[in-house]
Amino acid sequence: MADILEVVFRRFASGPVTRDVRFPPDVESNTVVHGDRDCSRCLLFLAAVTAATDLGLKVVFFTQTPFESLQVSLRGSVPGLKLEALKNVKFVYAKTLEEFLEDVASLHELDSPPSLIIVDDLDRYLHRPIGGPLQDDLSPVAHVAALLHDTAAFLTQILHGRGENKGPCRFIVSFYPECDGGETHAADLLLSVLERYLQVRCTLGEVRGDGVTGRKEWRVYLSATRPLQDQWGIQAWQWCLVVRSSGAVEFRPLIDGEQEIPEEQNISREDVETDNKHLS
Amino acid sequence: MGSCLLSVAEQLFKDLQRTYTQTKQIPDDLLIALRFVFGPCALQALDLVEKHSVKCVTSPSGRTVFQVLGGSGRLYTCYSSCHYCPCPAFSFSVLRRTESLMCKHLLAACLSQAMGLCQQEQVSDQQMTHVLSGQTEANT
Repeated sequence: MADILEVVFRRFASGPVTRDVRFPPDVESNTVVHGDRDCSRCLLFLAAVTAATDLGLKVVFFTQTPFESLQVSLRGSVPGLKLEALKNVKFVYAKTLEEFLEDVASLHELDSPPSLIIVDDLDRYLHRPIGGPLQDDLSPVAHVAALLHDTAAFLTQILHGRGENKGPCRFIVSFYPECDGGETHAADLLLSVLERYLQVRCTLGEVRGDGVTGRKEWRVYLSATRPLQDQWGIQAWQWCLVVRSSGAVEFRPLIDGEQEIPEEQNISREDVETDNKHLS
Repeated sequence: MGSCLLSVAEQLFKDLQRTYTQTKQIPDDLLIALRFVFGPCALQALDLVEKHSVKCVTSPSGRTVFQVLGGSGRLYTCYSSCHYCPCPAFSFSVLRRTESLMCKHLLAACLSQAMGLCQQEQVSDQQMTHVLSGQTEANT
């Protein structure tokens, strides 16, 4: 999945991208996304759209909540978007953990298997309402992650066997372990269990939102869930995600230590001008 | 639990597969190595292997999964591509305490596969879906 995320970053890049996202061959690209909930949901949606339209991949998108609105504008971000390509994305609205497990387990029955499986808000399936207490039982999260891993591994074999160049099958899961003080340990434990099965982590943190222009900005960190050997060099990749008031999205790669965000006043002026152009 | 120990475990399974295929026996040095890497659950797992408690379930789609009949009579479903078992020992010793590589059921599945001692069972694709999602465990 990290490879598809890189396609997303490049697809919506505001300038040239000079550095590849590259992990050692033994690091599987299945990814856990955590951090800002709204931004994660947008990123998952962009990943689904990019995989379906640019790469022509079949996508299965599991979520409990239908998309009614998004912070991002697809029309504004993807000029010339072919809506028929979105038919490659199948949304599955499983309501309970049992339904979700059965839906994932049945993917091997499909004649045309997906190359990308996306799970939005996994902790909702683990019976945790937003803001509710964390479950202390580690087995359900391990079961879900292991089933996804085993399913993706099997579908990869199928896709390779068919020689359609649609493989491997990857999966991406968003998970929000943020919690109040005493539950920090439980949240860390759940995340550590998830990261046994998903070897790439994508962390999203909001840098600032501008109430005047409506522009929002996040930092996106992409790294392996285990330390890489020193000779590999880069341990993490950083990007800046900007959503303008028009809903247009752009990613900018950040080099280590680079202060990518301009001064506040400049941002506002520049954004207002740019956004006015988008709206006109 | 480090990936180095996991590599050692995988090498042990390869050695076991090669040796057992030729001699139908497990030499003492391999037994000692298994006990060293996996602790007390090595003997418990070998006991499960000896009782032919591990079943390799396959369906027409080609999907494969292992089912291990535990000492209590409960059936545990273990996946073939990664380490997971629904038993309490896996949850506690492997996931929470990270003091073991695997539980006795997972180890029994790995050993049975290496030694070619799995029972074989064919099910339909729909039945496989139920097995994978854990519904058959809930019914046992």
